[in-house]
Amino acid sequence: MSENNADTGALEAPTHWTSLEELARTPEFEAFASAEFPTAWEEARHSEAGRRDFLKLMGASLGLAGLSNACVRQPDEKIVPYVKMPEELVPGKPLEFASAVERGGYGTGVLVETHTYRPTHLRGNPEHPDSRGGLHPQAQAGVLDVWDPDRSRQIRRRGNVSTWDSFVREMNEVIANLSEQNGAGLRFLTGQTSSPTLLRTFEAIRQRMPEARWHIWEPVSRHHMYEGARRAFGRYLEVRYRLDRASVVFDLDADFMGAMPGAIRHQAEVLRTRNNQDFDRWCRLYVAEPTPTVGGSAADHRLRIRSGEAGALLAAVARALGLEVPRPKASVDGAFATAVARDLAAAGRGAVVVVGDAQPPEVHALAHAIHAHLGAAGHAVVTTEPVLAPVVDPMQSLRDLVSAMNAGEVETLIMLDRNPVYDAPADLEFGKALSKVPNRVHVGAHTDETADVSHWHIPSHSAFEMWGDVRSTDGTATIMQPTLRPLHDTHSPLAVLSIFSGENEGTDYDRVRKTWKERLKGDFEKTWRRALHDGTVPDTAFRVRQPKLDPKVLKGAPPPGPDGLEVRFVPDPNLWDGRFATNPWLLELPQPITKLSWDNAVLVSPSTAEKQGLEATDVVELRVEDRMVEAPIWVLPGMADDVATVHLGWGRRSAGPVGSGQGFDAYAVRSSQRPWNTAGKLKKTDRKKRLACTQDHFRMMDRGLIRAATTDHYASHPQFAHAREAHLPKLTLWKPWSYEGHKWGMTINLSACNGCNACVAACQSENNIPVVGKEQVAKGREMHWIRVDRYYSGPVEDPVLTHQPVTCMMCENAPCETVCPVNATVHGPEGLNQMVYNRCVGTRYCSNNCPYKVRRFNFHLYADWYEESLKGQRNPDVTVRGRGVMEKCTYCVQRINRATIQARVEGKKRIETDSIQTACQEACPSRAISFGDLNDPDADVARKQKTPLSYALLGELNTRPRTTYLARLFHRNDELPVPTPARQTESHGDAAGKGGTHGSH
Amino acid sequence: MGPTEPASTGGYVAPARVVGSSESLESVTTKIGDIPLSPRLDKLWLLGLLGAFGLLQLLFLSIAWLVTQGTGVWGLNIPVGWGFAIVNFVWWIGIGHAGTLISAILLLLKQEWRMAIARFSEAMTIFAVACAGLFPILHTGRPWLAYWLLPYPNTMGMWPQFRSPLMWDVFAVSTYATISVVFWYVGLIPDLATLRDRAKNRGAQWLYGLLSLGWRGSGRHWHRYEVASLVLAGLATPLVVSVHTIVSFDFAMSVIPGWHTTVFPPYFVAGAVYSGFAMVLTLILPFRWYYGLENIITERHVQNCAKVMLATGLIVAYGYGMEVFIAWYSGVQFEWFMVTNRMGGPYAEYYWALILCNVITPQFLWSRYFRTNVWALWMLTIVVNIGMWLERFVIVVTSLHRDFLPSSWDMYQPTFWDWGMYLGTFGLFFTLLFLFIRVLPAIAMFEIRMLVPDNAAKGPKE
Repeated sequence: MSENNADTGALEAPTHWTSLEELARTPEFEAFASAEFPTAWEEARHSEAGRRDFLKLMGASLGLAGLSNACVRQPDEKIVPYVKMPEELVPGKPLEFASAVERGGYGTGVLVETHTYRPTHLRGNPEHPDSRGGLHPQAQAGVLDVWDPDRSRQIRRRGNVSTWDSFVREMNEVIANLSEQNGAGLRFLTGQTSSPTLLRTFEAIRQRMPEARWHIWEPVSRHHMYEGARRAFGRYLEVRYRLDRASVVFDLDADFMGAMPGAIRHQAEVLRTRNNQDFDRWCRLYVAEPTPTVGGSAADHRLRIRSGEAGALLAAVARALGLEVPRPKASVDGAFATAVARDLAAAGRGAVVVVGDAQPPEVHALAHAIHAHLGAAGHAVVTTEPVLAPVVDPMQSLRDLVSAMNAGEVETLIMLDRNPVYDAPADLEFGKALSKVPNRVHVGAHTDETADVSHWHIPSHSAFEMWGDVRSTDGTATIMQPTLRPLHDTHSPLAVLSIFSGENEGTDYDRVRKTWKERLKGDFEKTWRRALHDGTVPDTAFRVRQPKLDPKVLKGAPPPGPDGLEVRFVPDPNLWDGRFATNPWLLELPQPITKLSWDNAVLVSPSTAEKQGLEATDVVELRVEDRMVEAPIWVLPGMADDVATVHLGWGRRSAGPVGSGQGFDAYAVRSSQRPWNTAGKLKKTDRKKRLACTQDHFRMMDRGLIRAATTDHYASHPQFAHAREAHLPKLTLWKPWSYEGHKWGMTINLSACNGCNACVAACQSENNIPVVGKEQVAKGREMHWIRVDRYYSGPVEDPVLTHQPVTCMMCENAPCETVCPVNATVHGPEGLNQMVYNRCVGTRYCSNNCPYKVRRFNFHLYADWYEESLKGQRNPDVTVRGRGVMEKCTYCVQRINRATIQARVEGKKRIETDSIQTACQEACPSRAISFGDLNDPDADVARKQKTPLSYALLGELNTRPRTTYLARLFHRNDELPVPTPARQTESHGDAAGKGGTHGSH
Repeated sequence: MGPTEPASTGGYVAPARVVGSSESLESVTTKIGDIPLSPRLDKLWLLGLLGAFGLLQLLFLSIAWLVTQGTGVWGLNIPVGWGFAIVNFVWWIGIGHAGTLISAILLLLKQEWRMAIARFSEAMTIFAVACAGLFPILHTGRPWLAYWLLPYPNTMGMWPQFRSPLMWDVFAVSTYATISVVFWYVGLIPDLATLRDRAKNRGAQWLYGLLSLGWRGSGRHWHRYEVASLVLAGLATPLVVSVHTIVSFDFAMSVIPGWHTTVFPPYFVAGAVYSGFAMVLTLILPFRWYYGLENIITERHVQNCAKVMLATGLIVAYGYGMEVFIAWYSGVQFEWFMVTNRMGGPYAEYYWALILCNVITPQFLWSRYFRTNVWALWMLTIVVNIGMWLERFVIVVTSLHRDFLPSSWDMYQPTFWDWGMYLGTFGLFFTLLFLFIRVLPAIAMFEIRMLVPDNAAKGPKE
């Protein structure tokens, strides 16, 4: 159906045709038919009878095309598959292609797993600097966008279906009309970009129409980072943290493993070292932040500060380092500042202060001064040419656009993948200004809020349907190659821009190649092929530029933060600025810290809630200046006091049937003057809102679930993780089964886990896990096979935060197996606890008897069996489950079986060591998950399970789980008096979890 | 015993007041036999039947909605994978215990007072088991495949998994249902023949004639009847103990704190007898009042039932005490948390209500006043019935909702369809009961007749 749309959509001329005969006389149809069916068409052209037969054939194929996804096809251009896989399509075997996904202008390299060119799953490209094999949920979920049934599929003009040709014609009229005034009145609005081809195209437009203007709007921008570098070095520079060279990292309100570009790389560099026990190489992580983030979960020391206090804290650190900066006005935790300063000084070249993009430029500049002072500049912190180009302040750029629109200077506005009607700061009143523009064009994947008020709406390609290029945080470029031809009548932003640049001929493929022909040296075809294959263009990383620091930066004091309640606007860990709000995986994914699903909330600390007389789920009026939005409260331990954090990206009004109306819209109270943090008020209403939270209880109840110690304690007590097991006999009536062949097992290193959810998203994509919706999640019926439990230990106000991913433990003595009355869950010959969906009658006894509660039940028909387009995303190697059956983690048995078959084909006796990766393991940027053969002494998992850190969750039940955990180690600074969390969890097992801050039921 | 040797029971003397002194052989037969044979449609009876039939429609509706929509229409989730369905199953099965206990064990113990209430209790048992049986089948995710729990030769080459307590349940409950039905039917045969002989209406004569299997009351018939009764009683006796033992294994065999308890089998059996007798009294008190059968189901019967309730209630209370004691004594933190969570967690009110209903209330039965005051006793039996339902709710739900990993803890909230299905089974139960009362002799006429001369001999005392 979609293919048919795509092609007939191009058949523009006769708007009403009465028969296929008439249609077939158009030149467009002739062109299409001769390209598609060369021989048949030749025959048809020459005889009337042949013509009739051909039309019959056409009718049949049009009909058939509507029946299935059989229309998924390889793109016309040559695409290059990735490494080990077969070079040609072998039905039943997946083929991988290197490409990239983009967010905020930065690209992350991915490998797209395709089955007959259907993209089904993504994994990080190990050779890409910003992925290194890991992938965060937002990137992971991108594969669903291709198959999103709510994608915009039709070009619309004033709400009516139109065609590309009409659009091109009308745009050419616009160009012709504006040519006399050199393009004045024509404006473009895009996001930040690093695409060389896009930049080249804009340059061409500028030359053709010098008066046309290009505006950039990005609700979550990094401009403060650039501006800070300009203050420190006199010019805009990209700041890149080389955390692999760092020994002390101080995260200052940065969320450097979550929201910050390069987050996956940061996580990999800091946390991968925690997989070996060479503690000298572990970098000590200090995190000072207002709201707990994944970085805070991995921190060795975490300090709660208001966002507005960060500058003062850094100034105190700088002063302790001997830099002459003005004494901060706000009071800060002096002991913390001194200890951090001493540790940073000791680290010298390896000291890194990561400053949040929301922090004012002065704080960034001060960090540069500290890096220069310690010698870290040029070593652990490097600066390069800006990756995003041109460097403009998106807020100023949008403000300029709004005033131009209000002044009537904008005649045609082209908005490429932007949704400013939704995400522009409220005080700019973008929507009102936009209505004064006589010709509004929107290019985007969905008919969003902006498309609703635009004259033209051009549906855009998904990431895996188009050619393009994008740079990573170090400048390395990736050519984005499509894995399939566009499913619908969609077009790329580049194609739209090319109308204006005059580069009408050819396709995006030609345009991207043209860009790189100019840039690449040597044999172009060879380099091009290699770039496509590798997913990176060789030698495109930017060279380090380390200008001298302007000493004036020490004089500037950062502006003080707001008084009273500080309202912070932060990008949502799942939906970002709202662009992912159409993606049901991301809507349902429990947020890393709050574990809220399908909603955002105003996050406040327990004592702030108490002070304001608020409880979780109370609806409040959040007032900022004269604007107000109603939002539910969520009480979050670990928040700084007198801070209310709101996540952007929710409350979409026009995000399709799935995303619309979920959560509340924080943009409604965001101003362009203070977009990051500002003073606000909370006013309680007498209503409550039902929120879906997947984890209501956050105490470990002294159950030794996450075992933790400091590295020093570990050195003196290597068996600390087993202290509580000493007296437990491991009795069994049976002789243990000896596994002759493989014996699969898993180990999860809690020191390397920060709860980022990468594993959850990857598992959802790999294992065809359905989305169940808010109501079902609220009832406790989410389906994720791997979940990340989040526990707090220590005082409620200032807890230590730890995460624990929980998969099926594949118990040797599996409680689920003995209670199933129909043999639907059984032990496999390689030790897997297997679930036989076909045999399951759904008594749910197995789930009741599972101490880990990792089993998931299809209470309704959760998998969408009827939506054709979603079928494209499904992994053909994994059953799509029906109603009434139990399911659970399988250790990605389909991957094990694929490897087994391959080994047998190759005549090998055993599968090679560590050659199978589960989806969760593959996605984990920290490499916290090890999977492999416990019988193989060389396997990573076998080695890890032998260390004294390895313990079994609830091992006292004698279930003998296959999945074990490596106890969490804190690389603490002795100067800071923090009791070991191991001790703390012991002393804080309050009965029934009825602490005052205990989340809602 | 039996008509051939009415008075010589090995020196055993029947206790007083088993049958009222004014009753004769004729009056017993007329009083009991006229209920099914009466040509009139009694208005109150009709009203009761219609009410029950209405509730039965709710059951059908609930089942239809469940089967078309999935188990998700109930309030279940992960971790609470079992809710009302299993609570109701255990509750109904428990109620079904009185019948077999009365007819089998008391028969073997030669407790003649059982005769007046045996038939009624057996019928109640069968109907309760029918209600109970619906739940395990319908609570599965794919009820249309529930027959996979049966061991039958099939093309899949699959047996059920014999280690699973649910598998044992299938055998236990189906055996129990079969034996109960057979026992009940065999016991009915002589009375069916009486009805056949007394019926005026052709249709009734034909129906009872067919059902009485040619019973003529010959000595040989009575002999065979006695042997069959004894054999069936012998078969049924272990079932009284086994069914609820195995039902308790559904829980006791698991690893879940609050389920994994060795005291469960005896405590479940006692609880079942407890609730069974409570339900017998709940039903039989209005029944004997309405049909004026106070001379046949006498105060002695009522008192005896109350005493059995008191005894089993004390065993149940001991069970509750042991659960708490062992949880503490074991030193297992999960067990102790389970206890504190039951007593002080979000479902604490259910626990304390259960203690009030099942432990405190039956203590009134020490007093003769409460054993003999019909109204007070009747209210008390209803309280015990509620208490026993609460007990199963507490066991099933509070154990599951907070087990080992606090991260997975959640709450269970029953939905309209949970209640619909539960109330609907009352519809089924009472529809069957009303039909039974009207169509079959609710009291064993021939057995009561056996007691009459015995009773008459002691006449002056009464």
